[in-house]
Amino acid sequence: MALGMWASSTANALRISYASKAHLSPAFSFSRCFSTVLDGLKYASSHEWVKHEGPVATIGITDHAQDHLGEVVFVDLPETGVAVTQGGSFGAVESVKATSDVNSPISGEIVEVNTKLSETPGLINSSPYEDGWIIKVKPSSPSELGSLMGPKEYTKFCEEEDH
Amino acid sequence: MRVARCLEVWKMGTINYLESIKLQKKLVSDRKTNKISDTLLSLQHPLTYTLGKRRTDHNMLIPMSQLKKIGAELHYTQRGGDITFHGPHQAILYPIISLREIGLGARNYVEKLELTMIELASLYGVKACAGQKGETGVWVGERKIGAIGVQISNGITSHGLAFNIDPDLNYFKHIVPCGIADKGVTSLRKETGLEKCKSQRWEGQGSFKGLQWLC
Repeated sequence: MALGMWASSTANALRISYASKAHLSPAFSFSRCFSTVLDGLKYASSHEWVKHEGPVATIGITDHAQDHLGEVVFVDLPETGVAVTQGGSFGAVESVKATSDVNSPISGEIVEVNTKLSETPGLINSSPYEDGWIIKVKPSSPSELGSLMGPKEYTKFCEEEDH
Repeated sequence: MRVARCLEVWKMGTINYLESIKLQKKLVSDRKTNKISDTLLSLQHPLTYTLGKRRTDHNMLIPMSQLKKIGAELHYTQRGGDITFHGPHQAILYPIISLREIGLGARNYVEKLELTMIELASLYGVKACAGQKGETGVWVGERKIGAIGVQISNGITSHGLAFNIDPDLNYFKHIVPCGIADKGVTSLRKETGLEKCKSQRWEGQGSFKGLQWLC
């Protein structure tokens, strides 16, 4: 009982200090999110992007995601030919002793994997939208793109998520 | 607007590693569907070595036959991080929490786990600090006192941290701890010389002070 009361009083104390810290972060994260969200891409709420060009869609994680992950030291890549489903995990990245799964924004079949990430996983940090792409997929349901966020929506989503 | 959140704490005593994995999988699934609130497991393991997703076997320095002789288990996991040891009198916390709901990414979450251990150490007068880049964990000088290895699935965390209260540090000699060859390991007992540095106390006030950021 005493532990509970003590915990809640320290939680309250922290809520005050945490709130004041939060005032510093939104401007920073807003400007970072705004400046590093690209037009022409669609975005998932789990912070992956997809670029649909003809029969193939390229998928990676966003600049917001790589910033929140920290330095990527390992990428667990899938095999080509594997099926992915919208919202389903297809691999993982490791950073700061944390493995985070990466989800596919669309369903389809993996036709190409960025094998450079095995040697240079940091490409995800340095070039999340270009050299750091992760997989290319042949979409099975192109209409799924309609359920994803556009750049403005995703920017706002990032801002709200970062409080 | 910040909504009040609930953290349910399970004080589990000593639990077998595989049992804890099974439990965490269930809790992660339940947390994902909001069947449960954020949950914190507080426990110890019997003699156990674990490897992370990268399967850095080369950092295990003794063969399986010797592991069996000393009564230790070895498990491969999906967490981040390298090889580590768990055993009696090492305090382990596995938070099963939704990072998305508190707006945290992996990096910030891990920093807060480090702070938790740093604050606990400071309660006993031990000055610990977070590792340099690439050396995630908590250090007292060149000696590691706390390790971290986390898995994040759909924004829900599992695995977590391991803090050396008073484990038998000799067990670390059978591995290259966390893949870092030129640094040592330490414990609260070793740093303070305190006789009564028992893990039971950790399961009281000390362990949760540093976790107030979760609330």
